[in-house]
Amino acid sequence: MNYDLTPEQLSIKDNFTKFCTREIEPRAGILDRATHAEAARLMKENIKTMAGIGYLGIGHEEAYGGMNLDLISQAIAGEAVAAACASTFLSCGASSGLFGMPLRLFGTEAQKEKYLPGIIKGELVGCFGLTEPEAGSDAASIRTTAVQKGDRWILNGTKTFITNAPIADVALIFAYNDKERGPAAGVTCFLIDRDTSGFSAGKPFDKMGFRGSPTAELILADCEVPKSAVLGVVGNGFIQAMQTLEYGRIGMATVCLGIAAKCLEHANKYSKERKAFGKPINRFQEIAFKLADMMILSDTARLLIYQAAWAKETNQPDSAVLASVAKVWASEAATQISSMAVQVHGGYGYIKEFPVERLYRDAKLGEIGEGTSEIQRVLIAKDLIHKYAA
Amino acid sequence: MEFGYTEEQVMFRDSVYKYAKKEIAPLVEEADLTGEFSLEVWRKLGEMGLLGLPFPEELGGAGASVVTCCLAGEALGHAGVDQGHLLALGAHTYLCTDTIFKHGTPAQLKKYIPRLASGEWIGCMGLTEPGAGSDAASLTTTAVKKGDKWILNGTKTFITNAPVCNVCVVYATVDKALKHNGITAFIVERDFPGFATGKPFHKTGVRASATAEVILDNCEVPEENLLGEIGRGFEYTHETLSWDRSSLLSPFIGGMQFAIEACTKYSQERVQFGKPLNAFQAIQHKLADLKMIKEAARMVVYRVAHDKDSGKPLDHMHTSIAKAIVGDWGVKAASDAVQVFGGYGYIHEYPIERFLRDAKLGQIGGGTSEIQRLIISRLLSYFS
Repeated sequence: MNYDLTPEQLSIKDNFTKFCTREIEPRAGILDRATHAEAARLMKENIKTMAGIGYLGIGHEEAYGGMNLDLISQAIAGEAVAAACASTFLSCGASSGLFGMPLRLFGTEAQKEKYLPGIIKGELVGCFGLTEPEAGSDAASIRTTAVQKGDRWILNGTKTFITNAPIADVALIFAYNDKERGPAAGVTCFLIDRDTSGFSAGKPFDKMGFRGSPTAELILADCEVPKSAVLGVVGNGFIQAMQTLEYGRIGMATVCLGIAAKCLEHANKYSKERKAFGKPINRFQEIAFKLADMMILSDTARLLIYQAAWAKETNQPDSAVLASVAKVWASEAATQISSMAVQVHGGYGYIKEFPVERLYRDAKLGEIGEGTSEIQRVLIAKDLIHKYAA
Repeated sequence: MEFGYTEEQVMFRDSVYKYAKKEIAPLVEEADLTGEFSLEVWRKLGEMGLLGLPFPEELGGAGASVVTCCLAGEALGHAGVDQGHLLALGAHTYLCTDTIFKHGTPAQLKKYIPRLASGEWIGCMGLTEPGAGSDAASLTTTAVKKGDKWILNGTKTFITNAPVCNVCVVYATVDKALKHNGITAFIVERDFPGFATGKPFHKTGVRASATAEVILDNCEVPEENLLGEIGRGFEYTHETLSWDRSSLLSPFIGGMQFAIEACTKYSQERVQFGKPLNAFQAIQHKLADLKMIKEAARMVVYRVAHDKDSGKPLDHMHTSIAKAIVGDWGVKAASDAVQVFGGYGYIHEYPIERFLRDAKLGQIGGGTSEIQRLIISRLLSYFS
């Protein structure tokens, strides 16, 4: 048992915090208020900027230009990125994580060679298409189909809430190739380039938060791809998706932690400067104890994320459950903390000149994206029932 | 950073769990119901070597690390041993014996540690007073030197183990005007003239731990029973904090695991509307919350243990977070567990009812949740 960060991890923390504070944080408010077209342009620049210090390759093999760092180091860097700009974390994560990780884990040599160097350099943007209008938590109920025709596959269906869809050069699309074999053996994942005929992205959604990270539908209308577009093995898609989401859960927990930590930083600073009844408001227990609660919840979230990252990295048997635990704790902590941060700021917390207003809107996604809190709790409970009720 | 245990630690934890489940757990329900400390439970804890774990072998201990002490506490709670006896163990080992071990003279160590570590003697610690709880430095018990004796006068309250103790580490002031810097520690034996303990309190929870006042009425303490240096007692109370927030809290984590397993099993057996309770999401969500809270508590408590094992200075942020999580979230976990059991969770015949009563102490004893927030917010105010 050892809670200490290694010297390398400490320097990652320091370097990423400094870099993101300088390069990314000043753009977070601008991105939040930008038009869809501006946001798309600014976010592509941010992805390139982050690729410049290796962030997009942090979890990828050195052969493709990555840094191949452990998951705890990734969480440390991720927190710094998310604290500076949650939207940037999300778009980078969708490209190098949700798109990049399945490629690393299941892709053929040719597929990795084709896409990973571009993703890692920030020249290509990827996205992950699983969710559909009628299939969210219940991912096995997707309706997108893939039909083999000679040496081609024809895909039809609609994906929704796809992070990066408006700016992506390439997407992973999960479709049933054999509905009768069920999700475990009948779903296949395809790599689809932006300019493939029959493939298009919808109009960007107007979201409550994460407004800097473009989201849209992906539409597949007789979209035709070659056999070489199959990621790994036909029929393995659902398992690939579920394994990817385990990483995704740690990622979503991490972005929540970044939001929470930034909220605490702002609220702490503001409460020392703002005076009421003749003293700084942090001298009143109503405010001081909110700050303490923000610290208690966010610090515990950080430890749970490190534990989940360690468990996944070292293949502990309960790694999936620990990822769910970290995700629920961190996301619910972030919504509470951001709400407290707005409250500490009073009226100023409700206007866009103050970053906590954006952070409050951003925080809510954590309880929804990458598997809602409700689904995480069902997964955690099912594991307990499996272990102890027999 | 890694969060695993060594093979030795896992073996030790499992052996404590097995032993406690078989030998101790069957005794505790009765003790909790009657509110009586069980000497049989105490003897069994001593036989397994659990009453002096962290002390050197030559003084009758096991030389265990703080993480190992936590694992023992966790295993005992997990096995179903009540928090009352485990609080008795904690106060004895970490608040009394460890303070003597840390600051005692060689003669004091030789006299007290082996007897305490074996459980032959029971120790307690007297800091809190009727008028000095959260504001501990405002204590009014006095110590006046008279020839080769110290004369102590005052009343201590809420003292765990007082009714059954053989020896008590008492904090008194040699000069109230010096505030913190007047507070001094003494080793007081039960049969010293002028030492008495009150009638045991009837408590909400942790009922099998015996709690009472300690009354010092011109209590005569020989010179050689001054513990450490004059005026440094308040400092010594802070040194026990890293034990207070690690090994002393660890049984609560074990208790949460006990509750998780009990609730999962019960909700499988109990059928309503034609299916097991745990097939309903409302119950599943409570099970999930229990697991989540247990993991959170484990992470914050073992961090304090790791800090201490690696010789770091006391980190008040870490200790206060640990106490607040175990205290506040522990009550929620226990309340959820009772809810899963429904009416059966409200009666003593089922093993969950006392969890809620015991958990409440976590928000009060050894520094309230409010004091933890005060400490955390003060530390935050120094952040830029």
